Amino acid sequence: MIENSFNRRDFLKVLGWGGATVALSGCGNTSVEDGREFVTSYVQTADYIIPSIGTYFNSTCAQCDAGCGIMGRVREGRVLKLEGNPKSPTSVGKMCGLGQAGVQAHYNPDRIREPLLRNGDKGEAITWEKALALINEKIGGVKAENIAFLTGGVSGHVKVLLKNYLDALGSGHHYVYEAVAPSIMRAANKKAYGVEMPRLRLDKAKVILSFGADFLGAWVSPVHFSQQYARFRKADNGKRGVLVQVESKMTLTGANADRWLAIRPGTEGILALGLINALSTAGLSVSGDVVAVVKEYTTDRVSKDTGVSAEHIAKLAALLKERSPSLIIAGSAAEGYAHGSQNAAAIALLNQVLGNVGKTVEGSSGIPFPQMAPTTGNRQALQALNDNMAQDKVKVLFSYGSNPVFTAPASMKLKENLKKVPFKVAFAHYMDETAVEADLVLPLNSALEDWGTVMPEYVADGAQLSIRQPLMEKLHPGTLGMGDILLALLKQRRPNEYKGYEDFYSYLRNAMVSNKGALGGADADDNTFWDAALSHGMVKLAGSPVNISSHVSVNGLVVPAPFAEDSAYPLHLIPAVSASLRDGRNANEPWLQESPDPLTTIVWDSWVEMHPKTAAKLGIVEGDIVEVASKSGAIKAQVYVFTGIHPDVISVPLGYGHEAMGRYAKGVGVNAFKILDPIFDKETGELAMHETRVKVSKAGQRVIIVKDEGPAGGQQMGRKIAVRMSSDKVNLSKEV
Amino acid sequence: MSITNLLENWSDFRQQHPSDDRPHREYKWAMSIDLDACTGCNACSVACYAENNLPVVGKEKFLHGHSHHWIRIERYWANDGREFADQGAQFLPMLCQHCESAPCETVCPVGATNHTADGLNSQVYNRCVGSRYCNANCPYKARYFNWYDYPTTDNVWPEPMNQQLNPDVTVRGKGVMEKCTFCVQRLTVAKSNARSEGRSVLDGEVQTACQQVCPTGAISFGNLVDPLAKVGKQWMTQQVDLNKDKQAKDVAEEAAKLRGYRILEELRTYPSVMYLEQLREGSI
Repeated sequence: MIENSFNRRDFLKVLGWGGATVALSGCGNTSVEDGREFVTSYVQTADYIIPSIGTYFNSTCAQCDAGCGIMGRVREGRVLKLEGNPKSPTSVGKMCGLGQAGVQAHYNPDRIREPLLRNGDKGEAITWEKALALINEKIGGVKAENIAFLTGGVSGHVKVLLKNYLDALGSGHHYVYEAVAPSIMRAANKKAYGVEMPRLRLDKAKVILSFGADFLGAWVSPVHFSQQYARFRKADNGKRGVLVQVESKMTLTGANADRWLAIRPGTEGILALGLINALSTAGLSVSGDVVAVVKEYTTDRVSKDTGVSAEHIAKLAALLKERSPSLIIAGSAAEGYAHGSQNAAAIALLNQVLGNVGKTVEGSSGIPFPQMAPTTGNRQALQALNDNMAQDKVKVLFSYGSNPVFTAPASMKLKENLKKVPFKVAFAHYMDETAVEADLVLPLNSALEDWGTVMPEYVADGAQLSIRQPLMEKLHPGTLGMGDILLALLKQRRPNEYKGYEDFYSYLRNAMVSNKGALGGADADDNTFWDAALSHGMVKLAGSPVNISSHVSVNGLVVPAPFAEDSAYPLHLIPAVSASLRDGRNANEPWLQESPDPLTTIVWDSWVEMHPKTAAKLGIVEGDIVEVASKSGAIKAQVYVFTGIHPDVISVPLGYGHEAMGRYAKGVGVNAFKILDPIFDKETGELAMHETRVKVSKAGQRVIIVKDEGPAGGQQMGRKIAVRMSSDKVNLSKEV
Repeated sequence: MSITNLLENWSDFRQQHPSDDRPHREYKWAMSIDLDACTGCNACSVACYAENNLPVVGKEKFLHGHSHHWIRIERYWANDGREFADQGAQFLPMLCQHCESAPCETVCPVGATNHTADGLNSQVYNRCVGSRYCNANCPYKARYFNWYDYPTTDNVWPEPMNQQLNPDVTVRGKGVMEKCTFCVQRLTVAKSNARSEGRSVLDGEVQTACQQVCPTGAISFGNLVDPLAKVGKQWMTQQVDLNKDKQAKDVAEEAAKLRGYRILEELRTYPSVMYLEQLREGSI
C-alpha cells in the first residue's frame, strides 16, 4: 500500500478536476464535453501513480448512516474496491456487505446523468444554468413560508450550507425524515440516561440481553458493534460473553444468540419488569418503589403473558445476577408499538437495577460544532410536511436524501398530496419513486466522487468529523455534489458572502483550514493540516465527555397487558429491516439483491416468514403465494416457513417492491411499507412499525423459492459440516 | 494401473502432497475460520464479488444453481424437533478448501486444475475445456461453472459497471470452471514484493478479501510454514495436522476440549481450511 501523503489537489488536477482533462489509458473516462481529449504519457505523470499498483485513499461510507471510515483502492483513475479504514474508530479496517456495494452505487448504470425538467410524462434534459435559474424564479414567486426542504439525516458542512440557504430564503421549514430511524430509542434514552445515543460497550459486558436490537445486522452501527461482539465472545481473559435475544422474529443477531427466546409481540416490557421482580426475589438489591411496581409481575404471570417459559425466565434472572456487568439493549422490535416508549422505559429500568449504567452504557462525547452535528429525523416530520401539502401550504418542495413516496405508508396519501405542490425539486441519484413525481430532478454526484463532511450520530470513540473526498473523477459530467448545488443556490441569494468560493471544495477547504485550531491542526500550516486531514479521512475533535446518569423513574411506568386477539386480523406483521436493503435506498445494487438473506437464504424477491404451526393451521406450504392484508392495504408474496418466528407473527422484509429506481430494483418483490397501519407511539408520535395486524390468505399460486439453501432445508443429515459444542467444554484463553 | 494398485499405493499416486519427508518449502497458504465469531452477515461474500469479478446472475439463473459465490454462507438449523430455533442458526462460510489431496484435481482431463508449489488448488482458465468433472467430484460444492458468457450478458456488467472490474483478476468467459483462489492475485503481489526484498511474506502482510472485510475477524489466513503465522499457531493449538486424516480431537478422549476440525475429513481430501466449532452457553 502506498502511503497517501501527497498533495491531494495535485492528484485531482491530474484526474481532470482542475480543468485539463487527462485521459488515463484504460480508465474509460475519456469523454470530454468539447470532444477533445488529451492523453498524457505515464512517463510524465506524477510519481505516485504507478500503472497496475493500487493506491488507497480514505473517505467515508455513504451506504448507511453509520458513517464508517473507508479506503478506496484507486488504480489508473478508477476506484475498484472499498476496504475499511484501519484508523477509523468505527470501522477499524472492517466493512459490511452493504458498504462493499458502494462501488455499485457509484458505477450504477441507472444513475441520472443530467438535470431533467418535467415535460408532461417525460423528463427533458436541461443545463444546470437553466435548472438553477428556474429554481431562483420559482422561489421568487412564492412566500418564504411556502418553501419546504425535506431531507434524510444530514450533518457536516452540507448541513451548514443547507441551514444558511434556508435562512437566506427566510424559510424555517426543514423536515428531516428517516424511514427506519431509531427515533423512539433516542427519546427513551434521552429520558432514561439524559443522552440520545449513549455508547454501548458490548465488549465490557458479560451478558447481553437484547430485546430485538439487531446490532449485528442493521441497527445503528453494525460494523462497530460486530467488532465489539467479537471481543465480547472471546475476551482477553478467555471468558465468553453470553448473548440472549428476545424477539418475535429472528434477526441476524438473534441467530447468533446462545438463547433465542420467541416472545409474544409487544410484551417485551412485561418481561423486563418480570426479570426485575425475579432478580429482586433472588436477592438483588432493588429500591422499594421499584419493587412496589414490579412485584405483581410474578414469573408465572409473565410467562403466561409473554410466552417465555418460566424456566427460561428463572435461568435468565440467575445469569444476570451472577454475571455482572451485563448490558440490556432495547431495539426497534421492542419499541415498535403504541406502547413502545413504555417498553423502552421498562428495559432501561432493568439496566438501571442491574447497575449497568456507567459500566456498559457510557456517556457520549459532546460535539464542539453543534451546527455540524447530525440532524436526526423521524416520521413525524414527514407527517407535518404531508399535512402542510394537503392544505396547499407548500408551493416549492425540495427533496434530498429520502424517498418518501416509497417509504410512506399508503394511509398517508403522500403521493396524492405531493401532486398538490406546484413545483417539486428532487436531488437524486436515481429516478426513484420520489424523483419520478418531481418537476425538476437534479442529479447528484455519487459518494465516491463528491466532497463532504459527515458527523455520524454514533461515534465509537470521542467526537470526529469524517471527510468524504472524491476517489476518482466524476463519471458523468452532468452531475453535481449537493454541496456545490447549495453553494450555487446560496450565490443567488447572498452573492457577496459566497462569491469568493469557486466550488464546494474551496468552501470546504477554507472552512476547515480557517478552523484548524479547533480541528487539531493548530501547529500545522494550512497545507499540512489539510493534507493530513484528507490522508486520514477524518479529523478528531476535542469533545468534552458527557457523563450519564440513570434516572428511570417508576412513576407513571405502566406497561399494558398483552394484545387482545383480533379475529379479523389475527396475525402481527413485523416489517423486517434487512442488513442489505434497509429502507430500500440501496435496492438497485445487484450484489445486495443477489446476497442471500442470512436466515432464509432468499435472493431477488420478497417473502413472508411464517412459523410451521401457523402455516399448518392455514394449510400453507413453502412457496405458496399469499395475500397479506392489513386495514391499510394488501401485498402478495411467497411464504417461507421456518422456526425463527413466533406463531402469532409473520414478517416481510422492507426495501423491496420498487416501482421505479432502476433495472435491479424495479419490480423485485413487494413494498411492505405500504400496508403499515397508521398507529403511533403514544409518547413520541413515531409510527409504531410493529403494530400492524394482518390476515393471511392463500392466493392460489405456488412457486419454487429462489434461495441458496438446498433441498435439505438447513439440515445436515448427520454429516458434521457446521459443528457446535457447549462453551463450558473449551478454554478460550488457551486459544490463539 | 489397476484399482488395487492405486488403492494399495495411494500415497505414491497422490497429487504432490507434502509429507514429513517432502515438506512444503517456502509457503503453504491456509485458513482458519472461527464459527463462534462468524455472524453469517455475508460481508465476505460481497467482498469476494468485488475483488474477484464475480458475475451477478439474476433470479432465474440463481434458481438453476448458476450463482457464482466463491464464498457462500451455509446456514443450518439444529432444532432437534423443538418448536423454535432457540439456539440460533449455525452459519458456515463455505469456500474452496484448497485440499492437499483434491478430488477435483485427479479427474481433470486436461490438467486445468492442479496443485501449486505453495499449496493452492489452482484453476487455469485458458486450459479448462469445461468438462465439469471437477465440479462433480468436489464434495464441498465449491466450484462454479460459467454456463453463459457473462461479460456479454445483459445487465451483468453494463456500462459503466464494467469499470469496477478488478484488472488483476481475469474476467472469465463461457465454458470455464472457476472457484476461490485464496485471492492469488494478492498473494502474487505480496510474494513478489517480499522476493525483491530478499525475504518471505510476513504474517499479516497479505489478506484475502473475505478476511480483510470480516467485521468480527472470524477469518485468519496465512502461511503454515511460517512459525510466526497466527494461522499456523491456531492449527497447532487445535492439534489439527494438515497431513493427517484423523486429528487428535477425533481420536483421544482428553482432546474433547479442542474445537478445530476440517469438513469431511474422512474423505481424505486434506483441506487447507480449518474451522473452529461454534459455541453455545449451557446455563441458559
